[in-house]
Amino acid sequence: MTARSIVVVSGGLSQPSSTRMLADRLADATVSALAERGVEARVTVVELRDLAHEVVDMTLTGYARGGLAEAQEALAGADGVVAVTPVYTASYAGLFKSFVDVLDKDALRGTPVVLGATGGTARHSLVVEHALRPLFAYLGADVVPTGVFAATDDWAEAGTDDVRPLPDRIRRAGEQLAERVAAREPARRVGLYDAVPSFEDLLGA
Amino acid sequence: MQFGIFSVGDVTTDPTTGRTPDDTERVRAMLTIAEHADAAGLDVFATGEHHNPPFVPSSPTTMLGYLAGRTKNIILSTATTLITTNDPVRLAEEYAMLQVVSGGRMDLMMGRGNTGPVYPWFGKDIRQGIPLAIENYALLRRLWEEDVVDWSGKFRTPLQGFTSTPRPLDGVPPFVWHGSIRSPEIAEQAAYYGDGFLHNAIFWPMQHTAQMVNFYRQRYEHHGHGRADQAIVGLGGQVFVRKSSQAAWDEFRPYFDVAPVYGHGPSMEDFTRETPLTVGSPQQVIDRYGAFWEQVGHYQRQMFLIDHAGLPLKTVLEQIDILAEDVVPVLRKEAEARRPADVPANPPSHADRVAAARAAGAVPAAAVAAADHWTGRTAEDDLDAADAATVR
Repeated sequence: MTARSIVVVSGGLSQPSSTRMLADRLADATVSALAERGVEARVTVVELRDLAHEVVDMTLTGYARGGLAEAQEALAGADGVVAVTPVYTASYAGLFKSFVDVLDKDALRGTPVVLGATGGTARHSLVVEHALRPLFAYLGADVVPTGVFAATDDWAEAGTDDVRPLPDRIRRAGEQLAERVAAREPARRVGLYDAVPSFEDLLGA
Repeated sequence: MQFGIFSVGDVTTDPTTGRTPDDTERVRAMLTIAEHADAAGLDVFATGEHHNPPFVPSSPTTMLGYLAGRTKNIILSTATTLITTNDPVRLAEEYAMLQVVSGGRMDLMMGRGNTGPVYPWFGKDIRQGIPLAIENYALLRRLWEEDVVDWSGKFRTPLQGFTSTPRPLDGVPPFVWHGSIRSPEIAEQAAYYGDGFLHNAIFWPMQHTAQMVNFYRQRYEHHGHGRADQAIVGLGGQVFVRKSSQAAWDEFRPYFDVAPVYGHGPSMEDFTRETPLTVGSPQQVIDRYGAFWEQVGHYQRQMFLIDHAGLPLKTVLEQIDILAEDVVPVLRKEAEARRPADVPANPPSHADRVAAARAAGAVPAAAVAAADHWTGRTAEDDLDAADAATVR
């Protein structure tokens, strides 16, 4: 069986980025959980910082160029997606939303997704629920119940949450994504020309 | 192979002078551009159809009808005619009238437009764009091909015993293109009817154009109109030409940088590499456009956008002269030299279509009898006659 494709979208803008760190850990947790189920997976990382100009250009021109075209292709053929954004001004980062804005509206329909966000303090934790989850619900993605928010303090040695520390939340989210990925048929990329109705069907529509 | 120009009729401030033409000046500029293209020897002039500022060409057949009287050889066309929001009955009438007035020196291109609110303004639902294009065009064809039409559909009030006048010139409807950038359903529609397909990808990479044209070609063959390489294909293009490449880049860049649609986006370097926009010398345009056939096969019509983004009329007329003198003759010759003998050189002309219809025995022997079952002294007088005709 061919390896499943896990695509990581990281909206972090700094280098190094705690957003990327969370995204990588969610991807690792997913790959491990898939391996336990005997499912091989490969990970493709999409760093939005590298695509910033292409995203704005597509907003203006309507077509994807360069790395953005490759990223869109990867997402449309993904078996599972890890999407993580920093919190900017009480919501997802503008670049993250702009990237989602230029995705084909059906690109993530039915695709299992785990959501994550990073921020300075735990006071932003519900961004995953009130901003990210509705966005991916609109896209028709199959979002797992556990979303992971990581505040700066969560990266400390023990973290501030000793009831359910960050590594536990990451592991649980990875488990849930792996379960959904393993339960599905491998994703098949549907091209623009694969599902054109015959003209007789169009006439009768 | 035919080479022409198309205008979207945008009223745009010239960024180098800050001057903005008014609507009247822009309409007259479009007419001058078309007449100049005819005199210079270009093959086609096409006007867009828009119903919102900053665009002026809302009434294509008025404009093209005038041009039919003012020009000698140029083919008059559209880019595009809104098959979604126009009443197909009015399209049948208006374009048959244009066909008669121009002596068949016209064709037209169906499209769905690029402005969402046009749908609600004309009482339509944008989510029905494709079904509207399918149903309306099916009715339009019947109105041209059949003298008396009974019809009912989803989007328009039914017709009983309706005859669209004037009947098409010599009993043969105008040639129709279908234009779409990213809807394969429209390429399928063009292929189904054996109509032309024009991909106006002036803002898109050529690779996408090649996929769409290739899909149309395969479907054209599937529907039995000929081999895939014999399908009738047109491409949109965009150029700015001066004798030297540097002069072209220097002069066009301020227009490019703030142009509607793509301005403030990709650099001119990126955009000229990724889309058909070519800024440079005549030889550079020849090299670029003389190579597109490698990706889409031999095609019959190349259209250029040359009058947008606030370029002054004088510059546009100079562009026409350079195209007609230094670019098109070479491209035409090269295209003819490599064209396979059994692939059409041009889209079918009216004369070609009449000859084909006669050969197939498809041309009606006699004119429609001018029996009038409808007209009274007033419209209301005619209610009885209408009832009698529609009750079955």
